[in-house]
Amino acid sequence: MLKINWFSPLPPAHSGIAYYASQILPVLAGRHEVVAWTDQDQVAPEFSEMVTVARYQPANPPWRALNDADVSIYHLGNHGGIHGGIWQVSRRHPGIVVLHDLCLHDFFAMVFLRTLERPDLYLATLERWYGEAGRHDGEAFRSGGIGAETMAQRFPLTREAVWGSLGVITHSRSALDDLREKPASPVAALDFPYTATPEARYRGWLAARGAASGPPYRLVVFGYLSRNRRLGALLEALAGLGERQQFRLDICGQLWDESHIRMEIDRLGLNALVNLRGFLPDGQVEQELSTAHLAVNLRYPSMGEASLSQMQFWDYGLPTLVTRTGWYASLPEDAIAFVRPEHEVADIQAHLRAFLADPAAFRAMGERGRQALKKHDLGNYVDAMVQFASSAVALSPRVPVLELAGKIGHDLRQWLHPAASDYLLERASQELFTMCVGKADDRDS
Amino acid sequence: MKVLILTSGVPFIRGGAEILAGGLCDAVCAAGHQAEILTLPFQSCPPSRIPEQMLACRLLDVTETCSMRIDRVIGLKFPAYLVPHPRKVIWLLHQHRTAYELWNHPAAGDLIHYPDGPVVRDAIRLADRTFIPEARSIYTLSRNVTERLQRCSGIASEPLYNPPAGASLFYKSTPQDYFFFPSRINPVKRQWLVIQALALCREPVCVRFAGEADNEAQQAECAKAVRELRLSERVEWLGMVTEERKRDCYANSLGVVFPPVDEDYGYVTLEAMLSSKPVITCVDSGGPLEFVVDGQTGLVAGATPQALAEAMDALWGDRRRAATMGETGLQRYRDLKITWENVVEKLLC
Amino acid sequence: MRILIATVKVPFVNGGAETHAAGLRNALIAAGHRAEIVSVPFKWYPPRRILDQMLACRLLDLTAAGDAPVDRLIGLKFPAYLIPHPNKVVWILHQHRQAYDLWQHPMGDLHAQPHGAEVRDAIHRADVELLPQARHLFANSRNVAARLKTYCGIEAAPLYHPPPDAPRFHSAQAEDFLYFPSRLNALKRQRLVVEALAHTRAKVRVRFSGPDIEAGYHEECMAVARRSKVHSRIEWLGTVSEQAKRDLYARCLGVLFPSLDEDYGYITLEAMLAHKPVIACADSGGPLEFVVHRETGLVCEPAPRDLAAAMDELWEDRDRARRWGEAGRQRYSDLRIDWGTVLERLLQ
Repeated sequence: MLKINWFSPLPPAHSGIAYYASQILPVLAGRHEVVAWTDQDQVAPEFSEMVTVARYQPANPPWRALNDADVSIYHLGNHGGIHGGIWQVSRRHPGIVVLHDLCLHDFFAMVFLRTLERPDLYLATLERWYGEAGRHDGEAFRSGGIGAETMAQRFPLTREAVWGSLGVITHSRSALDDLREKPASPVAALDFPYTATPEARYRGWLAARGAASGPPYRLVVFGYLSRNRRLGALLEALAGLGERQQFRLDICGQLWDESHIRMEIDRLGLNALVNLRGFLPDGQVEQELSTAHLAVNLRYPSMGEASLSQMQFWDYGLPTLVTRTGWYASLPEDAIAFVRPEHEVADIQAHLRAFLADPAAFRAMGERGRQALKKHDLGNYVDAMVQFASSAVALSPRVPVLELAGKIGHDLRQWLHPAASDYLLERASQELFTMCVGKADDRDS
Repeated sequence: MKVLILTSGVPFIRGGAEILAGGLCDAVCAAGHQAEILTLPFQSCPPSRIPEQMLACRLLDVTETCSMRIDRVIGLKFPAYLVPHPRKVIWLLHQHRTAYELWNHPAAGDLIHYPDGPVVRDAIRLADRTFIPEARSIYTLSRNVTERLQRCSGIASEPLYNPPAGASLFYKSTPQDYFFFPSRINPVKRQWLVIQALALCREPVCVRFAGEADNEAQQAECAKAVRELRLSERVEWLGMVTEERKRDCYANSLGVVFPPVDEDYGYVTLEAMLSSKPVITCVDSGGPLEFVVDGQTGLVAGATPQALAEAMDALWGDRRRAATMGETGLQRYRDLKITWENVVEKLLC
Repeated sequence: MRILIATVKVPFVNGGAETHAAGLRNALIAAGHRAEIVSVPFKWYPPRRILDQMLACRLLDLTAAGDAPVDRLIGLKFPAYLIPHPNKVVWILHQHRQAYDLWQHPMGDLHAQPHGAEVRDAIHRADVELLPQARHLFANSRNVAARLKTYCGIEAAPLYHPPPDAPRFHSAQAEDFLYFPSRLNALKRQRLVVEALAHTRAKVRVRFSGPDIEAGYHEECMAVARRSKVHSRIEWLGTVSEQAKRDLYARCLGVLFPSLDEDYGYITLEAMLAHKPVIACADSGGPLEFVVHRETGLVCEPAPRDLAAAMDELWEDRDRARRWGEAGRQRYSDLRIDWGTVLERLLQ
């Protein structure tokens, strides 16, 4: 059993990660001794009853108390307000970083530019990972010359977030490859945790869907609908489909630009087929999803992270269209209908026609999605997380030694003549390496 | 042989390790060799400094001097014992204790107060596990240290005892009405335990404390306890004393009470034995237990004021027994062959 | 103030540097500071080891000792003077001469060893980049300062210090011998003195004291003495006690110090403290900062006949020798060679 410091947003924070924490922590706390650390003003009382909650100030964390634990686990996401404090602690107190987002420019921009008011650090960080070009574009961003989306794509700053950590957990295998570069922390990809709704209720949903069997078939889109959700492509595909009358589309969630979407719907003559439902309260979500026939969960470009909403669609046994990119590309072929980013409209239309030709095949796909959820069991996730954390902690001497290597490099640049640098760097590296990992017979393989 | 004694020290602070290194140096020279002490400076705060100095030690070269071989290097303390040498012997006085058993000690723990404390602690532990076994022989200050080294680092070693400074000058004289407790005054030595025990004694036991407090607060706390328990008549604070005065106090005491917690060695125990005095210590005192034989050379009491009080009462009330135990203690000291000659022989063989 | 003196220790070898550091420490303590010497071991071969030890010095932390800061670090020798500290004063006794004036010199070793050039370059660069980081830079003598300026382009002020036990030197009536106290080796040039004795007009007598540190050198000198039949005018005293040495200074007619390119030379100062004239050579380096030709002694060419002539001058005019000795003592005072001056400048 381990003693664990847990840092993440907690209910009632408006964050999918707070929801995730509310699911994971009770399981984790049932198996290990957990303290959930927070800098939020409020924590939901029912949550505080389940898990020990402690408060900290990011400017002055209680190191003595934190050091009583065996390991600290930090959850990072793209929101600087929610994760800023967590990241600040993680920098000074090495632990396991769980990356919920991989593109973190928004996060660093907020933390450096607004929270800490340190534009020098912002620019230095960009330069550190992306060179002169990074600094240059950072300055342009600050003066409004480059937009946030462009910066996010060009400068994900993922490695800055995990620098100096004991280990990194992601929920995406593609992120794994990205992060496995020197100098590396150990990295693991875990299946995104999700507890499937009990069978009995699911059967109820199947019955509801069966009763609402259609045509017309209900297509559904959910969530925070920004430009990368490909609504434009979906509307075009629908509009261009001869059999479009067989479908209805419910768009549920917050639109990034509602007036633009309304105009498109008008322009494409889809008013009768498309319904803008807005943000749905929980009770209505169940009604909506249990009677839908096909979910559309496109993303392009993807920020790489796993999708909670995809878990939900599978929970409802809903076949889903997803873009073959990022995390989505690793989903099982037989439980998903893939859309190629460079052939969106055509692929969407092909799937819609295939649906009409054989709705049962798509129902079966949805069922297989439901089966796929078993891998995402919470208990397995918690055990995998803790096991990874334990093995990463065993490699902890790496962290101060690598930091020392950086410091030495910096010092040597001041005074070491290039003719001698090969020798001395090699010599120092030898000793540093041994200090990191011990000698052959001591090392874990 | 040319023998280099390598130790680590904090500038301006001179402690037991410096005295021991000096004794060793003299003893090696007395045995006909050339010996020198090299003290490498060691600053342990903030923790990030520690890996720097570990690496600095690994980069030093003490294999030769002006084309003359340095035949033997004796490493005494962290991180000096990390310096490489093909004929290195370690006589471990301490590992870096706050990375081990003092990690979360309320008074002594230091790394634990820093954000990078744990990872530096782990780096220290790995360095010990990795580099200590490079030595051709590993000795320690005491069985206490040997057991800790085995437990914490999985490394086998042999205790090698050394005599206290001025060993030949201790003597025995007529016991008077007091127990003697010479030591730095701090929570680890547990003067407070003795004070609390005194309050529970049935006999009119008296204790003379010698030594300086680590800081004013320590001294004040002890004085306060004595006042509150109304023991002012039975407690004497001698403060810092000369070596000569200290030996006199030993010589004229009824016995020595020395109940520190997890002491690595404890010259006090040996000084008491050399003065033919019984020693009262506690079950968790560590080092002293390697020398005190319960019921024969002294008494080992439970680490409670009540148990300690009973032990003090027992000797206070039976002077003959105390004296006999003292004699037995002296004999035991001799039997243990705690001599510099023995130390030098082991370290240089 | 809490002050640390950083220097280098070559295990089992004791030399002038240890004495210097100890003198400085004692002076600081006498002035009411807390001072300690920190020694780093130094082995300069094979050449690449030097790089290891330079890095080791950069990794040491002398900014604080325990809970309290170290107010000042005084660095004396390479590579210890590379140890970082925000309030560092460097008082250079030596740079690593094998990388500078002894490069390609018969007395040097670095140029003949593998990777010698690369290490020489590294030593140059480190000195050039890091020495100026000190708050103040001093040199043991003008000689050392000049070398630093020539090779590294760095200015350092000469700062003289008294020899150990300066107050204990005394003077007495001159007797019939010239005195040369020093370790016996080729750089010190005892052999030159022996050769010169063969050319003196007067029956000049010389006493040498000091340990043999170079194999065969003493034998070589004695062989030369026997060949030139001057051996009866020479006494080889070996290592003598400090008191005996001071006594010999006090009673000699004059002091010989014809060594090659000395960095400093306690001998010159000890002679001055004993009120005695000094004979040095034109290439002796350090001594020339103190000896004033024909006022406090003589400076001659490093050749047997020239040295012989100088020795004759002292031998044959005792009054003038005595006057030059007195002038030497006066010059010592005028130069303010005392620990008070040293501390004033190091601690400004």
